[in-house]
Amino acid sequence: MSTADTQTGIRRTPGLVPVAETMRTTERHPPEEISAPVPPARRTWAFWRLLGSELGLTFRRPRNLALLAVLALVPIVLGIGLWIAAGSGGDDEMSGLIQDVAGNSLMLTFLSFSFLVLLLMPVVVSVVAGDSIAGEAGTGTLRYLLAAPAGRTRLLAVKYLNAVVFAYAATAVVALSALLTGLILFPGGSVTLLSGTTVSMADGLLRILVTVGYVGAGMAALAAVAVALSTFTEVSIGAIAGTMVFIIVCQVLRAIPDLAPIAPYLLPTWFTNFDAVLRSPIDTAALRDGLLAFGAYIMLFGSIAWARFSGKDITS
Amino acid sequence: MRRGTFVRWGVPIAAAAVIGAAIGAGPVIAAVSGDPVLPERSAEQLLADAAAATSKQQGIAPMSGTVQQTASLGLPALPQTGGQTSPLSLLSGSHEVKVWYGGDQKFRVAMPTQLNETNLIVNGDQAWYWDSATNTATKLTIKEGSEQKHTTPVPQPTDLTPPQAAQRMLEGVDEHTSVRVINNAEVAGRPAYQLVLTPKDEGSLVQEVRIALDGETYVPLQVQLFAKGSAEPAYQVGFTQVTFTPPAAENFTFTPPAGAKVEEATLGEEGFGKKAEERAEHAADVAGQVKWVGEGWSRVAVVPFKLSDLQAQAGQGADEANGAAMLDTVLKSATPVSGTWGSGKLIKTKLVTALLTDDGRLLVGAVTPEELTKAAGVK
Amino acid sequence: MTAITLEAGAPFGAAPPSGDAIVTHGLTKRFRGGQIAVDALDLAVPRGSVFGFLGPNGSGKTTTIRMLLGLVAPTAGTYSVLGLSAAHALPLVGALVEGPAFYPYLSGAANLMRFDAADPTAERATAKRRVADALERVGLSAAAGKRYRNYSLGMRQRLAIAAALLGPRELLILDEPTNGLDPQGTREVRTLVKEIAADGTTVFVSSHLLAEIEQMCTHAAIMRTGRLVAQGTIASLSSGRVALVKVETPDVADAARTLGTLGLADVRPGNGAVTAELGGHAPEKINAALVGDGVAVRGLAVVRPSLEDVFVGLTGEGFDVDG
Repeated sequence: MSTADTQTGIRRTPGLVPVAETMRTTERHPPEEISAPVPPARRTWAFWRLLGSELGLTFRRPRNLALLAVLALVPIVLGIGLWIAAGSGGDDEMSGLIQDVAGNSLMLTFLSFSFLVLLLMPVVVSVVAGDSIAGEAGTGTLRYLLAAPAGRTRLLAVKYLNAVVFAYAATAVVALSALLTGLILFPGGSVTLLSGTTVSMADGLLRILVTVGYVGAGMAALAAVAVALSTFTEVSIGAIAGTMVFIIVCQVLRAIPDLAPIAPYLLPTWFTNFDAVLRSPIDTAALRDGLLAFGAYIMLFGSIAWARFSGKDITS
Repeated sequence: MRRGTFVRWGVPIAAAAVIGAAIGAGPVIAAVSGDPVLPERSAEQLLADAAAATSKQQGIAPMSGTVQQTASLGLPALPQTGGQTSPLSLLSGSHEVKVWYGGDQKFRVAMPTQLNETNLIVNGDQAWYWDSATNTATKLTIKEGSEQKHTTPVPQPTDLTPPQAAQRMLEGVDEHTSVRVINNAEVAGRPAYQLVLTPKDEGSLVQEVRIALDGETYVPLQVQLFAKGSAEPAYQVGFTQVTFTPPAAENFTFTPPAGAKVEEATLGEEGFGKKAEERAEHAADVAGQVKWVGEGWSRVAVVPFKLSDLQAQAGQGADEANGAAMLDTVLKSATPVSGTWGSGKLIKTKLVTALLTDDGRLLVGAVTPEELTKAAGVK
Repeated sequence: MTAITLEAGAPFGAAPPSGDAIVTHGLTKRFRGGQIAVDALDLAVPRGSVFGFLGPNGSGKTTTIRMLLGLVAPTAGTYSVLGLSAAHALPLVGALVEGPAFYPYLSGAANLMRFDAADPTAERATAKRRVADALERVGLSAAAGKRYRNYSLGMRQRLAIAAALLGPRELLILDEPTNGLDPQGTREVRTLVKEIAADGTTVFVSSHLLAEIEQMCTHAAIMRTGRLVAQGTIASLSSGRVALVKVETPDVADAARTLGTLGLADVRPGNGAVTAELGGHAPEKINAALVGDGVAVRGLAVVRPSLEDVFVGLTGEGFDVDG
């Protein structure tokens, strides 16, 4: 109580209180802690609530919906193009893959993925993931979220999980759009794999599901890179552009035959490994190696994002 | 707080270290825990075992695995030719095939590439060649009494499997070679013996040849060719993953999928298509004219050869155009040489030296340029 | 310190009002590049006070607030808010930092829900009611469903104050709360602050507007180029400067003599007026003495120094009234 007395004493003292005097008289002992004011169960619920809020923000934002719509459009355009080509062209002029697509409705999904994982899906994912922290910093809402207090590690985790959900949503949108287009335009039935063997349609659908899981994981790894970049800037376009440059540089490096030894270290190298599901038997080693590479990227860039964000001065 | 900065950044640094360790774990674990020491064997014992394992009578145990072939022969950079399945592309870079072997007369070799796959499936007297890129299934009929592999001069994926390569190497073990055995090698995660063949001849470009034999089954798992003065193998073919359990039966059955083009070809009689037939004839012609100079490792092949012939031939067909482009690249990198034997163009790689003399001979050998020009003097 | 009950609706006045709401010791922030924004700040904000944090723009007020909210890490020194660590204190702190910032494509209510979701101690079940209450309090109920993009500057400022009032707060940190508000809005904010303070909540208001601080605050601290120049109650700050008595008269010399004989210090004869320090003298007695001595008194006034005079006296510079 002596401290409080001293305080009131100061307040009663007429005249200016010189700074030096305040120093001497204010309390010096470390602030007392009260034991966990919030029960852990409530904390868990609060985490999901924040994630829900984040997802609502992401999936209600017109820009993000437009991005998903563009992704959905590509398999439709691709399917119609191939449908026209298959209807007019002679058998000899068509490549094996076009024949595969024309021959079975499920193959359009794999063809769409093989195109989209190269650039368009990474772009879409990096827009949302690159915007995650930098976007909030740019609008100034980051300071209010942290003062709420959202907690830095907690907010970063929510932001990353949100990006992962979006990455899987983007993957699922491509798969569904391609699947529907394929089912409308091309005959169903058994699916011919790359190895020349045929499997039932149900088996084919299962393989599409595995592909979605794999490609989504790849996009989640890319999202980790984008979120990490996002913690270094207050301009979201900077983080988005940075991620795109990363993807393009990787693709260029992959195209140089002399640099083949570094290819396994480049993230996009592993995106196309989903074609392992089209082999007989399924090349599980290729999928496993890809998933390990994704895990390594998530671990490295996730920890970089954490190290940066947890110590960053929020001045925006 | 500033001290906290270091602690924080320690986390990603630790993460990078863990990932680096995981990437390097293979060789590191092999080196540290490693040395799975097998019982000692003399070279002769091992060769006998290997010969038994490789020979047709006893047969190789059913197995499956991934074979990786890496060539860094020091060739001039070749233009990208004919896709990844082209035989020429095997001369540089790294390639992977999957192999399933289900006992005698049953095997499947698949070469997976991006969204494509070529397969050779042999089951008894039935053989299929499937190429997903062209959606073509070719039924290969093997002529009665002929062996599966020797008739096609075009390198087939089957020629690259370790057993075949090892067999070729073992045929060359003679008085020109010193042989030793390493009993603590590891290939594809399996303890293996390593047979090291070192040429006694000074003129050879080959430092040594290492053949890894599985410690249990004596199946050759890896063959490495080391050029002189190079720590990395100039050529390597081996399993990166192998299991000695009989593969599933469906690997050896093939039904052309609906909508695929089905072609037929008979091996041994008509050859593998027309072009292959021509090549085979040409190869037979050339083989008849080969003269050998020297013995053992420094043996040099001398072939009558006219550059103009090759260039004329190279002009035909789309497939040959790639050959022509490669030929140009190779010739550009050749050095003109001359001596008492005459003059010509010398092409030197890590492992092979070739000399194209102006008087129309081609000398090829795994020897130093000096040896080659010496051989050029022997008319 | 007794444990604070965090059940929603619990009276926070239950927490002991003893101690200080904000205490800093040698709090210093040096930004990358060497520029010192805050220099060895020792601040003591008593609980229950309305504390004015005064200083020209760029004097380090906002950086101090950012440090208190855990947004910026101090280079040196310590601080404590409500006697707790930042993670435990912040749910009890409502803040308005450097103007409003919201999601333009969300409605006002949706924006408040968003920030409520970010607070791990906030209860989802009561969120709707608390958001409605907060909007009601700042007079934005009618515009709750309107997108933030379409809000006027004043509405945005009010929404930011509503966000600060979302939960039961023990401390309200308001950085320039009347920025962008019209005179009517300014008055409303002032009334609101007084109401909140009446509930026992400590309010920490930063401003560069002197009048605002004088009208709202019980205490104040004055910053200048990152340093704390003075702090205390408004009364004590003002009393640092003595009151003057000013006598308007044509008989300047006579008046000065009378004041001298009365014992007033620092008598200064001027042009048509004499000033002197009032000291403990009663102005009516001075007047009687002057009249008794036959001085023609045209006017007599006691001039008490304003906070502005204090500020000018302390810093040697004028106040940036226009911001």
